[in-house]
Amino acid sequence: MPTIIPSTATVFSTLLRADLTTQWRNRRASVLVVLIPVVILVAWKGLIEHFGGAFVLANSMTIGLNAIGLMGYSNSIARDREKGIFQRLRVAPASNWSIMASRLTVQLVMITVLTTFVFIIGYQYDHIVLSAGGYAFGFAMAILGGAVYLSLGQMIVGLIKNPESVNATTRLVYFAFIMVGMYAEFGTLGDTIKQIVKYSPYGVVKRIVAAGVEPATWTRETSYALLATFVYTIVFTLLGVRWFKWSTR
Amino acid sequence: MNHQPTNHVPTDEAAVLEVNSLNVQYASFHAVRDVSFAVKAGEIFGLLGPNGAGKTSTLSAVEGLIKPKSGTITVAGYSALDQPLHARANMGVQLQATSFQPELTVAEIIKLYAGIYGVSLTKDRINTILSEVRLQDAANKWFGQLSGGQQQRVSLVIATIHEPSLVLLDEPTTGLDPQSRRQLWERIEAMREKDHGILLTTHSMEEAESVCDRIAIIDHGQIITIDTPQSLIDNNRDRPEVVRASRKGRVTLEDVFIGLTGTEVRS
Repeated sequence: MPTIIPSTATVFSTLLRADLTTQWRNRRASVLVVLIPVVILVAWKGLIEHFGGAFVLANSMTIGLNAIGLMGYSNSIARDREKGIFQRLRVAPASNWSIMASRLTVQLVMITVLTTFVFIIGYQYDHIVLSAGGYAFGFAMAILGGAVYLSLGQMIVGLIKNPESVNATTRLVYFAFIMVGMYAEFGTLGDTIKQIVKYSPYGVVKRIVAAGVEPATWTRETSYALLATFVYTIVFTLLGVRWFKWSTR
Repeated sequence: MNHQPTNHVPTDEAAVLEVNSLNVQYASFHAVRDVSFAVKAGEIFGLLGPNGAGKTSTLSAVEGLIKPKSGTITVAGYSALDQPLHARANMGVQLQATSFQPELTVAEIIKLYAGIYGVSLTKDRINTILSEVRLQDAANKWFGQLSGGQQQRVSLVIATIHEPSLVLLDEPTTGLDPQSRRQLWERIEAMREKDHGILLTTHSMEEAESVCDRIAIIDHGQIITIDTPQSLIDNNRDRPEVVRASRKGRVTLEDVFIGLTGTEVRS
């Protein structure tokens, strides 16, 4: 009997269907990921006059991207690894990359949903109107920014095996990024911290997203931030892949 | 019911699994040393050994979950190291601690793995498959809602959904009640009748003696002996260490196992 090797596309689409179903059935957690940026949009309406719509949009999107990459992605990977789900998939004719690509594609969908919601609420409630280029470029920067946090999440699950420890660590990093990032931006923590945060994963993502939604404000500093985004993504990904174990046993 | 192995003669003497001079090492620890064995089509081959003997490492190497230091593994003629996807496509696996996505129903899990193995299943076909294993009401349940025996039946269905040449079962009856265990044995024997080659690891001597056509005993990473259960008993019944291990004067497979591997408790 000839050996049936399903095509890569078949395997990937099969995995993706299952992973999207899983994500949909965990939609309560997904709603929270989208809700927090929306709450910030609403709460910071008063700041738009002083700092501009791009500032508010960029901050809320960055916080959402942070949540997707750090808490959504890495916790689901750690949990499924602990349960042995990856090992079961790996003994089937599904390549490692197709298993992970499916997971990442689901997160890409989440990033798209988040960005869409932020744009819609930004328009409807905060009356932030962007150009067509701003919406398109903003989307692209959101995806690039999301890649930084997804790769950081991958690095965390590569470093830490225990799912509870992954959960605790990602929450800590999430809150540290947001609190330090936001306060530093306002200068509350001093100039040194402000400079450090400027080139941190939080700062560079916020900068490129802000310039993405308002392309006219793109400067050389934004280009440096974009370069830093790529560097962070590559370094975190390499470390995350190198250290990652498919099983906790 | 007295469960006796059938005198099933494999219809095809060709091996569905050939392991030659397999070595698995973790840092400085040599878990599997020069292990060689073959599993024929239509045969149930048991791999027995104390804790830490190298059973799981051997199985993991065959499954492709770990890369051996040296040696060859051939599944249905495909090298597991050079053509891993082909080897895995000819293999069905039931892991010891199998778990599936808790958010998916049993039917969705079956459809997922069928898709990965390239098998297209309609809803009716899935229902038929579940009926055959008396799980007709389980299609829309979560895997976690099933009993231990039901979970093992679903795992076995998924392991054989693509009619593989080789089926690997890692302690399939652990934690099952006697009735579920007997039912699972019957299913394993039915797979043998369909000419699947089955590699089974177990701690249960009763299971090994009842179900397996041949047994390999592994200890400290090395195969000590390979033979049929009855031959193992017959050929070793007079060894002093086996006689010492026997109870009530009757030598069993467990006595041979303890005689050959020692009485020390392994962690």
